[in-house]
Amino acid sequence: MTLEAAGFWGLAPVLLASSLAVVLSKNLFHSVLYLALALVATAGVFLLLQAEFLAAVQVLLYAGGVITIVVFAIVVTERLVGERLAQTNRGVINGGLISLAVLIWIVVFIAGAQLPRTAPPPPGDLTQAIGRDLLTRFVLPFELLAVLFLAGLLGALFFARKEE
Amino acid sequence: MRDVLAAFILLNAVVLIVTYLTYVERKFAARMQSRIGPYRVGRPHGWLQPIADAIKLVIKEDIIPALADRPVYNLAPIVFLIPSLLIFATIPFAPGLGLADLNIGLLFFLAVSSLEIVGLFMGGWGSNNKYALLSAMRGVNQIISYEVPFVLTALIPVLLAGSLQLSAIVEAQRGLWFVAYPVLGQLAFIAFVIATIASENRVPFDILEAESELVAGFRVEYSGMKFALIQLAEYTHMFGVSCLGALLFLGGWLGPGSAHPVVGAAWFLLKALFIFLLVTWVRWSFVRIRVDQILGLSWKVLLPATLILLMATGFWVALRSGHVA
Repeated sequence: MTLEAAGFWGLAPVLLASSLAVVLSKNLFHSVLYLALALVATAGVFLLLQAEFLAAVQVLLYAGGVITIVVFAIVVTERLVGERLAQTNRGVINGGLISLAVLIWIVVFIAGAQLPRTAPPPPGDLTQAIGRDLLTRFVLPFELLAVLFLAGLLGALFFARKEE
Repeated sequence: MRDVLAAFILLNAVVLIVTYLTYVERKFAARMQSRIGPYRVGRPHGWLQPIADAIKLVIKEDIIPALADRPVYNLAPIVFLIPSLLIFATIPFAPGLGLADLNIGLLFFLAVSSLEIVGLFMGGWGSNNKYALLSAMRGVNQIISYEVPFVLTALIPVLLAGSLQLSAIVEAQRGLWFVAYPVLGQLAFIAFVIATIASENRVPFDILEAESELVAGFRVEYSGMKFALIQLAEYTHMFGVSCLGALLFLGGWLGPGSAHPVVGAAWFLLKALFIFLLVTWVRWSFVRIRVDQILGLSWKVLLPATLILLMATGFWVALRSGHVA
């Protein structure tokens, strides 16, 4: 077994279990911690696929940033004001059905796709390639995203503003 | 096998250095306040004090509050410590002397050290203590505010060197250290030091520790070895960021005779120690500022300033390479 395969079989159960725990855990704070674990495990999978840049960005943005914000949301809604919230799982059956459908769809898609037997060699310095492509080939979508974020920021400011 | 051995040696060296950094800080602070500092344990000058402290903490009773969220509470010190130790994986101490000189070294450093906040918050929440929770809230607030300017200032050397690889950034400073670049370098270095102090929650930004109001902040319920782990993590992170500052702005291992790895590593550690002492100097000289002042400083001063600096650096690099006609 290669190192990559060993890493995958080590990471996959962690990723699966923590993802399941995110939705099944009764304690909201624990779900957020499992989410952090799931995101870090995803970064690990990216690392195995030799996408170091993506892995680092995944940890920096998601595990560091998003967790912080989710934690904020919980703290503000749960313990500091009002009642303690527990996560309810009313939609377990429907959720399970939809997940199963998505899984089948993905499996069918992958089974039908033409995949190369061996992985293509990574093209030199990936980070440099990503940077160059973002600012040349994909500059329009990139800038559109920036505008979208700006709009989101302005919207948040508008809602956070005190009523006059 | 060789890598495992190297990692083991590095880990122990880092922990040893960090243990003695607490001693350096205590002596330094004592001198600033016309005291002597640790003196009794070990001659001369109480050099065994850090060891004595460690032994004392190991044999102390481990207390878990009755209402604590036990798994979260118990895991928090470990989750807090691991990122602080991991950041040393990518730090080059001298040419060829380091664990893994990744080509995304700086990004790895930033990503891993951003995980620290998860451990901090687990500790604050898991303790089920209002002081700890308040402190963790303040910590999250402050760390997400200062992470942005910290990343932006760290990007300035990246732009100048044209690489995220820490050893390449050092090599790009062979002619002139980045801190010596006229105006740009000094301003960036000042911004870096401010962001460092804030992201380390040191005075004057230590509202999450704030002894006079929050007792000891998020670690108030921890005792014994878990307390020691949290302290260790904090100082390790501080040392890690000092190393990063030395690499990004002070030319890393460059210096007279740095062709030899040992001399290079000595220069590097000396520079890291300089940044550590700079931060310590600020810590023992200033008073704590208020929450709104801290956040205001980050969003209204530091963030625009670092953005402008980053743009100016970009222009400068473009001019130097002749892309702007």
